[in-house]
Amino acid sequence: MILFLLSSVLLLSSSLRFSLQQTLDVQPDFVVTRTQGGASTPTPLIWGDTLLEIHGISKVTPRIYGRYFFKPKEHSFLIIGVDFLEEQSNENLQKLMDKIALKAFLSTNHMLVGEGVKAYLNAHFYKDSYQFLTPQGVFEKVNIFKVLPSQTNLISNDMMIMPMDLARKILGYEEEHVSDITFNVANPDEWNMISDKVSALHYDIRVVNKNEVHKSYENLYNYKGGLFLVLFLIVLSTFALILYQRYSMVYSTERRQLGLLRALGWSINDVLKWKFMETFVLVFISYILGILIAYIYVFVLGAPLLKEVFLGGENLQNNVTFIPVLDFTVLTSIFLLYAIPFIAAVLIPVWSVSVTDPKEAML
Amino acid sequence: MMRKIMIQIENLSKTFYQGSHVAAVLKEINLTIHQGECIILKGVSGSGKTTLLSLIAGLDKPSGGKVLIEGEPISKLPDLFASELRAKKIGMIFQHFNLFEHLTVNENVMLPLIPTGLKMKALQQRVDEALQVANIHHKKDSVASRLSGGEKQRTAIARALVANPDIILCDEPTANLDRDNSLLFIAILESLHRMGKTIIIATHDPLFDHLDFESIIIPMVDGEMV
Amino acid sequence: MQEILLSNQVMVFLLSESTLFILLLVAFVVSLKILLKWDFERFTPFQFALEKQAYLVSTIILFVFLLKFILVIYFIFSIDALSFLLPGAMCAAGVIKANVYGSYLLVLKTFILFGLTLWLFVHFYDMYTKNHRWFRQKSWLFMLIFVCILLELILDFSYFTNIDAHLPVNCCAALFGQLEGANPLPFGLSIASLLVLFYLFYILLLLTLKSGYTLLYLVTHILFLFIAYYAVVYFFGTYIYQLPTHKCPFCMLQPEYYAVGYLLWGSLFMGSYMGLSDAVCTLWLGKTNRKSQNIAIGLLSIFVLLCTAYVTVYYVRNGVLL
Repeated sequence: MILFLLSSVLLLSSSLRFSLQQTLDVQPDFVVTRTQGGASTPTPLIWGDTLLEIHGISKVTPRIYGRYFFKPKEHSFLIIGVDFLEEQSNENLQKLMDKIALKAFLSTNHMLVGEGVKAYLNAHFYKDSYQFLTPQGVFEKVNIFKVLPSQTNLISNDMMIMPMDLARKILGYEEEHVSDITFNVANPDEWNMISDKVSALHYDIRVVNKNEVHKSYENLYNYKGGLFLVLFLIVLSTFALILYQRYSMVYSTERRQLGLLRALGWSINDVLKWKFMETFVLVFISYILGILIAYIYVFVLGAPLLKEVFLGGENLQNNVTFIPVLDFTVLTSIFLLYAIPFIAAVLIPVWSVSVTDPKEAML
Repeated sequence: MMRKIMIQIENLSKTFYQGSHVAAVLKEINLTIHQGECIILKGVSGSGKTTLLSLIAGLDKPSGGKVLIEGEPISKLPDLFASELRAKKIGMIFQHFNLFEHLTVNENVMLPLIPTGLKMKALQQRVDEALQVANIHHKKDSVASRLSGGEKQRTAIARALVANPDIILCDEPTANLDRDNSLLFIAILESLHRMGKTIIIATHDPLFDHLDFESIIIPMVDGEMV
Repeated sequence: MQEILLSNQVMVFLLSESTLFILLLVAFVVSLKILLKWDFERFTPFQFALEKQAYLVSTIILFVFLLKFILVIYFIFSIDALSFLLPGAMCAAGVIKANVYGSYLLVLKTFILFGLTLWLFVHFYDMYTKNHRWFRQKSWLFMLIFVCILLELILDFSYFTNIDAHLPVNCCAALFGQLEGANPLPFGLSIASLLVLFYLFYILLLLTLKSGYTLLYLVTHILFLFIAYYAVVYFFGTYIYQLPTHKCPFCMLQPEYYAVGYLLWGSLFMGSYMGLSDAVCTLWLGKTNRKSQNIAIGLLSIFVLLCTAYVTVYYVRNGVLL
């Protein structure tokens, strides 16, 4: 039971990390924004052209995005404006765009939405279009073109992707401004150098690379997993105590049987070996079982309840599909965390039975 | 005829402490047993004969003196050696048969051989031989709890014989048997005697007073040999 | 709260180490009691009880021994995984050097494993004497190991609590590369002479073992271990990475190189542990075990062959040496 919870949490966290890694892998390597007084402000579009002049930089893409608040329920969508005619620095987006019929998409106001958004709009009777209210107070009707694939839900759940001009209108950006500019650098060894060069371009430029984003996410998930570890520590020590007591209360029959074995010529070592084999088999079977149940719970059932804790703070109902990952580290971690306290707890009781005097057999 | 000394007991004593109460169960026992002898320790319960048996088998530690089995001081050997000695040289038959009730006859008899690390085939062969000698081979696959008293006793004998020991120790072997089975037991005992085994029996059963074969009766009273 | 501590693996590692330490503490207290009161010749119930408790001590140590081996591998593994969180670190090398404790900790860990192997040898010789002849030696050895493990635990905690995730660390290129033409090899050796020594010591090892000069064997063994470390880092490693400038003992643990490092270092250290323990036992207790000698030599031969194979395969494929 404990093992099951423990492995669920660790499996979940490793699966999340894996999908995050996958999503991040295809993200652009660098993001450039303009900051004033520590806060991001609209970035001039011209910066993109200066970036292109630096050797080694490719796929410069200006982006427009922002949160659009859905008034009645205090929920928000993430609007992303993309120039659909240009090559994208986000590989996923590029793939997605290769699939859609661009002509039809661009003919009127269209957008791509995440699953969460779609479900939410459906619930509020916006079947295939939505009326946005621009900062100028004008309504703008946008049709839903397609729903984004659910594998990327971790990030795309509350996304709306639409042409750049449309996004600009809805979010209130001026013509020559964008939210940020992304670009790729093919050679990872040059990242630091490029980063320095770009920083030197403007006094108010901020450069963030993919690894930094990754690291902050990594810490977040480690932290949530870690929080659980602390909880499990408490549960585990209780469990160890129970085991200790349970094993200490050796029934007189077992004591007698072991005494008999010793009388028949088994040495203390033989008895110890036997008892530990028994324990190992027990640990191993329960370990495999626990992992199996946890695997089913997380990847087949989608981890009800636990998911809320890990993905908490989402403003839209998120239906993440966990990608099954069983990595060696997690398996060893679980094993160590489970087997060491287990065996440590039963070690002393097992010893005390094993050294039973063989004269017990005579009584 | 000069026979090999199997068991040598020197100044053996055993004292139990129960709080302030001190009970001397065995007092300075000296005894030499040769190969092939059949010794019958006779005495009422509490006379110390069972304690003497367990000291000979190294199941219990003495308070003083020593027991030598073929020259090896079993009472002062580290467990690893004492157990080996016990496994190879001594077969024990207990008063309550002491079988593992949930195991089959075959498995029960096999138990003493497991630490030897023999291959399954060799193991089974020795078990079969012992089952033949004890005349219980036909019940090989029965679970021990389903056996009658006599059958249990014969299983216990097979188990004692399986390692082909030189010494057989019996603690009140007929206490839980009816007369017919007791006589059967004595018949098996006789065949063991003829095989040249050294046999020591602790009993108060009068059946053992007049055995058909050569035996030495040693009466015990209050931890001393009379 | 340190960010590093939040990593699951580090947490599991520290927890496991602490649990094992508690067990060892029990063993230590019992062992101390036994050592003070032990008199095998006596027939008191107390001495018999002590003999039983000795089984507890040895059981605990055997269990700990097994897990320490697993934990060292796990330690290196998690450190390797941590390299991701530290700016600048490409592999475990940078993480180990993230603060002053790291390298001491690693050296101590390898030393403890050697101590435990030696203890195991003495334990088995002791078990097979009829009067526990080596009992005191065995117990004193354990006391020594216990002190080391106590130190290790303290270092474990100081190491992991003092990693600053914001401070950039060096990558292996900076730690093991030849900076400003300085020669990193001991005694001012060149690569060529290092290699000559490497194979020479290996042959000497075989010869001294056969001839039975144990002291010479022991010394050769230690020197071989020492030379082998440098030879792998500064010569054979470059063939594993297929890059003449890549000199690092840790990168080879990563999956890019088929985690061959575990096999390489594993065979070297296991072989050395067994060989050294056997040699020490021969000198100390006058006991030798042919089988463990053979295993030790076998493991070391695997190590040497593996190293040589990397160079040979590279040469056959590319027709040149690096």
